[in-house]
Formats: sequence, C-alpha cells, structure tokens
Amino acid sequence: MRGWRGDEGGMATLETTLMVVILVPLLFAILEFGWLTQRWLAQDGVALQAARYAGELGGDRPELRSYVQEQLRLVGIEPSRVIVEVEPVNVAWREPVRVSLRTDERVAIPFLFATTVAVRSTAVARGEINR
Amino acid sequence: MTTLLALPLLLVVLVGVLELGALRAVAYRAAAAADLATLVAVGDQDQIELARSGNLRLAADAADTARDYFARNLSATAPALAASATAIAASADIASFPTAPSFDPRTGVRYERPTVRLIALVPVKTPGFAALLMPAVTTLTIRSTSSPR
Repeated sequence: MRGWRGDEGGMATLETTLMVVILVPLLFAILEFGWLTQRWLAQDGVALQAARYAGELGGDRPELRSYVQEQLRLVGIEPSRVIVEVEPVNVAWREPVRVSLRTDERVAIPFLFATTVAVRSTAVARGEINR
Repeated sequence: MTTLLALPLLLVVLVGVLELGALRAVAYRAAAAADLATLVAVGDQDQIELARSGNLRLAADAADTARDYFARNLSATAPALAASATAIAASADIASFPTAPSFDPRTGVRYERPTVRLIALVPVKTPGFAALLMPAVTTLTIRSTSSPR
C-alpha cells in the first residue's frame, strides 16, 4: 500500500513538472502570437489609411504625421515607438506613394526565448494632387 | 500519464489554431490590398467629362490601375503567398463600370455609381495544415468594389 502511494505521488510531480515546462510556454506562445498579430493588423490598417491620405496631401506633410500619430494612438500603439517612412516626399499626380510603418515588438516565451520582432506594414496609394 | 497522452492532441490543436490565425491575418491583408487598389482606381476621374458635364466618370485605365495597385499592395504579403503578387493580380477578375447605372454580369449586382470591382483568388502557403495532412496551399477568394462620391 505504501509503495502505491509513493508511485502516485511521483507521477503527480512528474505531470506537474511537464505541465509547467511544456504547457506554460505553449500558453504564452499563443498569447504572444495573438498579441503580435493584433498589433500587426492594427498597424496595417493605419498604414493603409495613411497611404491614401498621403496621396491626397501630395506626399509627406506635417498633417500626415499628425494623422498617423492619432490613428496609432487609437489602435493602442505608442506613436513614439513607430518609425514612419513616406516615399517619395513629394508625390506627383498619378504617381505611387508608399507609406511604411515599423515597430520593434518584444516577444518573451518563458523557458524558451525572448526576442525582438520587427513588425512592418506597407501600403501604396496614388498621388491625387495635380500641381 | 494523462499529460503525456494529451500532449500530441494538444500540439495538433495548437498547430491548427496558429495556422488558422495566420491565414486569417493574410486574408485581412489581401482584402485590404484589394480595397486600396479599387479605391485608388476610382479616385481618378475622366477630367474632360467632369469639366464638361460635372458627372463622375471613371478614367479609361481604371481596371489597369486597380490591377497595378493590387499587385503593389499584395507584395507586402509576398512571403506568405504561394504565387507571386504580380501573377495573382494578373489573373484577378477586375472590371470597370465607368458610368452608372450599370449591371455586373459576374456578380448580378446593379451599381448606382461608377464602380471598379475586383475578384481575386489568392493562394496562401499553409505549412501548418500540411503537417496535419491537409492541403499545403489554401486559396482565398477576395472581393472588393469601390465607387466615387
């Protein structure tokens, strides 16, 4: 009887150890993946709107920068962490204008790794101002 | 013991969920690329017609513009695609209806404004599904229509 009790206790310890070492990283991986995807899609939406606005304004203007910052805040991204690039700075009528956003996001999975992932979003619209 | 037995099942579910999530993300981006392409295409009006009558009429190259910008925007998702963005855009069914009202024979929809309509088949790599003995490529159907105001 004592032997059986001892075996069960050992098995429970083994299962708990496996759960902590395997299931906890899995759970965090799911959470981090979902969070990163949410950030990526939210940033993508801002890039698309910004590209259209850049086309309307005729390129990289202070109004565009303000708009991007406002939109990033609305989707829960701190604007100071985002690198915004607009090419070309002055866009001609019917010429493409590209808006790129980049954020470095920290991903940490317990027992496995911690790293920084660059989240990039790019959108291309067309210049709408006929100068 | 239960943990050891349940682990393979858990991994299968995890891979399936992650792959499905990634597929949804790519679908969202492809749809956004299509929306932006059709919006750009309808943003350019026939200037002569606009000056003459004040009516909105799409530029003659609206469908080509939509195709071009669809490829440009889709290229941001290129690593996840099973074909090149240019090839996907080239095979997309893009139709321009420069004047309104008009009838779309493909979808059966009547448009009350000038419209650009895009339907594209986007093949996406799904290695996670392949690991679960499912198709290695999943084809998404993307639809978008835009009209000027």
